[in-house]
Amino acid sequence: MLDITFASSINALILGLSIASIFLVAALGLTIIYGTAGVINMAHGEFIMLGAYASFTMQNYLGVPFFLCIPLSFLVVAVIGLIIERSLIQYLYNRPLDTLLATWGVSLVLMQGVRLIFGSDPKYIQMPSFMSTNIAIGDVSISLFRVFVFAVAIALIGAVWWLFYRTDFGIKVRAVTQNKEMAASFGINSSRVYTMTFALGAGLAGIAGSLFGVLNIVLPTMGMGYVVEAFLMVVTGGGSLLGTIIASGVTGEAQSIFAFIFNDTFARFLVFILIVIFLRFRPQGLISAGGVRR
Amino acid sequence: MAAMEKNIYHNKALQWGVYAVFFIALAIIPLVQDDAFILNQFATYGVYGMLALSISLCWGFGGILNLGQGIAFGLGAYGMAMTMQMQSQDPDINPIPPFMLNNALEELPFFWEPFWNTSAGIFLALLVPTLFYVIFGGLMFQARVAGPFFAIMTLAILSALATLFIDLQPYTNGVNGISPPGALDLGFVVVDPYSSVSYWTVFVLLLVSTVCAKLLTQSRFGLVVQALKNDSERVRFLGYHVAFYETAVYAVSGLIAALAGCCWAFLTQYVSPAQFDVGFSISMVIWAAIGGRNSLIWAIMGAFMVQGAQSYVGDEFLNSWVLILGLFFILVVRFLPGGFAGLTESLLGALSTGGRRRGGDVPVDVSKAGTEGA
Repeated sequence: MLDITFASSINALILGLSIASIFLVAALGLTIIYGTAGVINMAHGEFIMLGAYASFTMQNYLGVPFFLCIPLSFLVVAVIGLIIERSLIQYLYNRPLDTLLATWGVSLVLMQGVRLIFGSDPKYIQMPSFMSTNIAIGDVSISLFRVFVFAVAIALIGAVWWLFYRTDFGIKVRAVTQNKEMAASFGINSSRVYTMTFALGAGLAGIAGSLFGVLNIVLPTMGMGYVVEAFLMVVTGGGSLLGTIIASGVTGEAQSIFAFIFNDTFARFLVFILIVIFLRFRPQGLISAGGVRR
Repeated sequence: MAAMEKNIYHNKALQWGVYAVFFIALAIIPLVQDDAFILNQFATYGVYGMLALSISLCWGFGGILNLGQGIAFGLGAYGMAMTMQMQSQDPDINPIPPFMLNNALEELPFFWEPFWNTSAGIFLALLVPTLFYVIFGGLMFQARVAGPFFAIMTLAILSALATLFIDLQPYTNGVNGISPPGALDLGFVVVDPYSSVSYWTVFVLLLVSTVCAKLLTQSRFGLVVQALKNDSERVRFLGYHVAFYETAVYAVSGLIAALAGCCWAFLTQYVSPAQFDVGFSISMVIWAAIGGRNSLIWAIMGAFMVQGAQSYVGDEFLNSWVLILGLFFILVVRFLPGGFAGLTESLLGALSTGGRRRGGDVPVDVSKAGTEGA
């Protein structure tokens, strides 16, 4: 019944890389926000959804080419994130459970607001036609767009790494992450760092949205599906950048292999259960972020 | 503490008085209202009330934020629906529910067998979710997973269960869910969903679970649980087995939610994976937060208020309703973390100390103070 050939196993592994890159793109912004400010941003899925709608709007009403939509979605969602941080999140930093609830409220408002503006019917983002071709790697064929998503994931990791470890801003962020009061006493404006980090994380969700809008249909509720998985990556990874990368890679591959053996939904269930068991033995995650965790 | 004791909000006798008034008011409804549809609606609110109560117990008192209360609710509802489904099957003529035949099942799956017996079915409907909470809670709390992380894990398990129930199409009828053809027959009485019988059933269960939960919070066990919320490390150093207390209060809240699930199944005669919907589980948290998570009765009233308001705005405003609810919820979290209960506590505190000191530690928004009475 189970047809395990060399080609099909390689196919599952490559598909796993693709799933991993999607997990990673979804979880990257969340990791940055959680790792730096300790904010559980339940509206992250809706930021992804906003990114998709921003791309859809720019492409359909303004005729912006798809590749330009991606950075523009980053800007649009980053600005929205900035506004939300300034008007709400900044008052809740010392109440982690309340940020979770408040951002859930934000996600309700965003989801319903988009539904009122755009309606509940599915929208589609067009990609350049050459992107829909399949390319063959040996016996395995995979759509060029999935390769593109993988490339974007790598590029984003590089960009975030450069920003955090090679710039002045990154030094400030890491200082604030390790010890907020100490950083403040050295003249770093920590609340400004939080704001910028939140906007950055939201912007990354915007990029994720413009990519996922092509992979799937664009719906007001599309964010819900991503947020739980993205959070699992962050929790399993321990809140650090490297942890999220490893967690996404391992879970992506695991899910692809289980899906190959059983089926898609059962694979998802199995991965979730394995994560629960993993956290029983390593509750701090793979690589826990620096600084104090509560 | 002196100010706290003077605050009549903390007067135990008075608290029981308020509970009595609330339940007497609920008991009057079926006496003055004989519209079966409205009674069914109020019974449904009662189910929501139980869910809010269960959230208040584990979150407000135990400090365990649980975004996946739909786990117990859904499992309980499925258990009850399976029991009701088997009541309409005949062991000799048609032992297999129609949807299984449609899914090409030749014989009844083994885990459906116990549901031939109504009491065994209901027992399982309550036992399975509770046991699930004991195991899952035990795993998590022993690993000292707490706070937001625990909330995320409950959410993950909830969505995993939803996908599992959709995936097991032959055994659960997938997305379509189970819709038992007849009302629940308890042997001595038939719980017709559109009758006062179902209303009284929900009423009694809500009353019993509320009183038990209230007694639990006032017991020694309840005191330790409340101490956990404030500083679980200190409780650990005092020699208490923290994971045991956390698992226990989590499991009790799961039992109440499972009970609510059972009621839901006989009230609607229908269950589907929608009962595992993430949005629904989070609404439960919203009810408890708006009403006031630190007060069992206010959490229940929160469910009544929010769901009641939702029914009265009507279908055409349903879209903007979610928007308004979201905004309102944000405002409550931002300015009124104790919900209406916190507001009441502060107001009564101000009254009983002559306005010199505030009773609670909850900041009160004076501009709102006039609009809501106790």
